[in-house]
Amino acid sequence: MTGYYSLAPVLFSDVIGSSLMIVISFGAVWYASRLKKAEPSNLMWMYLLVLSAAMAGFSISRSVGHLVKHLLLFTGHSYIWECFRPYTGAINSIAFIGVASVTFFFPKVQRINARILSDKMALEKATQDIKLLNHNLEALVEKRTRQLSLSEKKYRGIFEGSMDMIFVLDDQLSFEDINPSGLATLGYDSPSELVGTVSLAEIFFNTSDYEEFIRDLSVSGSIKDRECRIREKSGLEVLILLSVTGTMSDAVKQKSYVGIAKDVTARIRMERQLQQADRLASLGQTAAGVAHELNTPLGIILGYTQLLLRGCNVQDGSHGDLEIIQKQTKNCKRIVQDLLKFSRDSQTKKSYVDLIECFNEVISLLGHQFEKEGVIVKTSFEPDLPKIFADGEKLEQVLVNLMVNAKQAISGNGTIAVTAKIDQEHQGILISVSDNGCGMSPKTAEKIFDPFFTTKPVGVGTGLGLSVSYGIVQAHGGRIEVESKEGVGTTFTVLLPLPDESEQNVEDMQTQAAKE
Amino acid sequence: MLNMTRADSLRNQWTIPGSFGSGAIALITGFVVFLAPDTAWALQSHGPPEGLYAHQMAHILLAISMAVLAYWLEINSYTKERGWRLIQLSFLLFLLWNLVAFSGHFVEIRITPDLIEGQRGGWDQRIIIEGDFLTLAYYFLKLDHLVAVPAILCLFLGIRNLYKQTLIKVVRDK
Repeated sequence: MTGYYSLAPVLFSDVIGSSLMIVISFGAVWYASRLKKAEPSNLMWMYLLVLSAAMAGFSISRSVGHLVKHLLLFTGHSYIWECFRPYTGAINSIAFIGVASVTFFFPKVQRINARILSDKMALEKATQDIKLLNHNLEALVEKRTRQLSLSEKKYRGIFEGSMDMIFVLDDQLSFEDINPSGLATLGYDSPSELVGTVSLAEIFFNTSDYEEFIRDLSVSGSIKDRECRIREKSGLEVLILLSVTGTMSDAVKQKSYVGIAKDVTARIRMERQLQQADRLASLGQTAAGVAHELNTPLGIILGYTQLLLRGCNVQDGSHGDLEIIQKQTKNCKRIVQDLLKFSRDSQTKKSYVDLIECFNEVISLLGHQFEKEGVIVKTSFEPDLPKIFADGEKLEQVLVNLMVNAKQAISGNGTIAVTAKIDQEHQGILISVSDNGCGMSPKTAEKIFDPFFTTKPVGVGTGLGLSVSYGIVQAHGGRIEVESKEGVGTTFTVLLPLPDESEQNVEDMQTQAAKE
Repeated sequence: MLNMTRADSLRNQWTIPGSFGSGAIALITGFVVFLAPDTAWALQSHGPPEGLYAHQMAHILLAISMAVLAYWLEINSYTKERGWRLIQLSFLLFLLWNLVAFSGHFVEIRITPDLIEGQRGGWDQRIIIEGDFLTLAYYFLKLDHLVAVPAILCLFLGIRNLYKQTLIKVVRDK
């Protein structure tokens, strides 16, 4: 190893190395600044920027000193270098201390940055959680709202579409809500007419029934299938099966009542009609038996009486007696005939008849008489009513009976309305006779078709008119009903079946043959 | 202030403000100095070796700081990332460079100037190595840039790598 060695490599490495130190250190500063810009919130990049700047400072202080030294010595200005030299050394020392100082800050910076990062992560996590919760909450709310809406729609559908009356009452038993079926049952057009203005007490027909209902409701808290008579808006009586339950609302801490009512008027009426039909049928059988038994002896009595009258002189004292016997026997015969008509045991001559023609005859006959007494007869017949297979005379008798009864129900002036129209629902012709007379009680209406039942004074009526009408209508396969309200009036409704197509064809052929 | 007790309010009332206290101390010191003068050794001269010692101490300080920083990066798991590994390597190389530079300065003052021939600062300069370790060490220690340049290069590459990784992350996050 002994010998002379050139210091050129040392000089070369010093010059090139110093230059590279400056260039590379500035490259580090540049990247550190870009790094800081890319993620400004990261404190470590700030630290790296400061560190790289300190390193650049160190590189400049050292490398510039070296380069200046070589330049000055190379150009022969060694004395300048000697002046400059202590400064570069001192600056170098300061730069070392500066870099060292910066490095000693690393743990502190690292801790702060770790705290910042953990806080940032926690914040991001919390934000994500909140977003997730918010999203979930929104989805949950949306789902619940959808379910609630569906449920609401479903129950609203049940409420609106129910054929029975459903209603809600407040704590004062006034209507809060009611479904369309309930409105129809009570005869109201819109809920606003009823809600908040009408109470349950007002629709009860009898106060005593309502008081009993309230008493039972307060005792048991609910009532199930109670048969109640309520009043329509027009005042007509409706029979309902009423169920009411009291509920306490959680939201407003107020008691309310939910009720369901079924209109059983038609059913009850039908039941009553069936009972009445049974009763009248058994009465009819009895009446028919009695009438047949009486008919023969009455015929014999009448025959012999007439024979005796032929052989009796008018001046004879017994002639008048025989005439009385004959008259009373004829009365008895007429009653017996009526009984037979009621029991549908009398002969009917059915043919195709035009109802309007029949009715017009009766109305022209009675109308004039009635008008004299202040009773106006109004008619409303649907045009083109089909002919029906019936006994015209007997149907005329039915109309006469009904109109006479209507007239007798009117004291003084009044109106009798006779209508006839096709009832599509029952496939028949609906005839109604209404009056604005005194009306009758439900008890009277129940017995109105009973034979010998009459509200007229003794001797005025036999009580067989409506029984006979009932029998005739029954014999035609129809039905007769009465609706009455005391002080308002009475309506008799007769439903006669429409003829079968086969019957119609046969009749048409017979008519055609008769014409030929 | 809402829950201040009577004792607190009294204490606050009798507390001397900090600025006033400092002023008072300065004033008393001033009086003592000017009213009781004595011999003072205000300045102390520093001879030529002190600069070198200060410089060497700065090298030691820088070396320690580099070692500490490299250690911190290691224990805090920063070196899992390539960028930080390069920076750690940079610090270790700077640590080595400090040792080289420290040794260089140490040796430089122990060799005689007549061992170097030629114009000072010129390309024709030569060193006479007579088999002694010091001169040989001096020659090689003068090549300290062979350590310093890779050190600063590692720092540059490390920061550049961190920048690229961060850029990818930022773009992905966006």
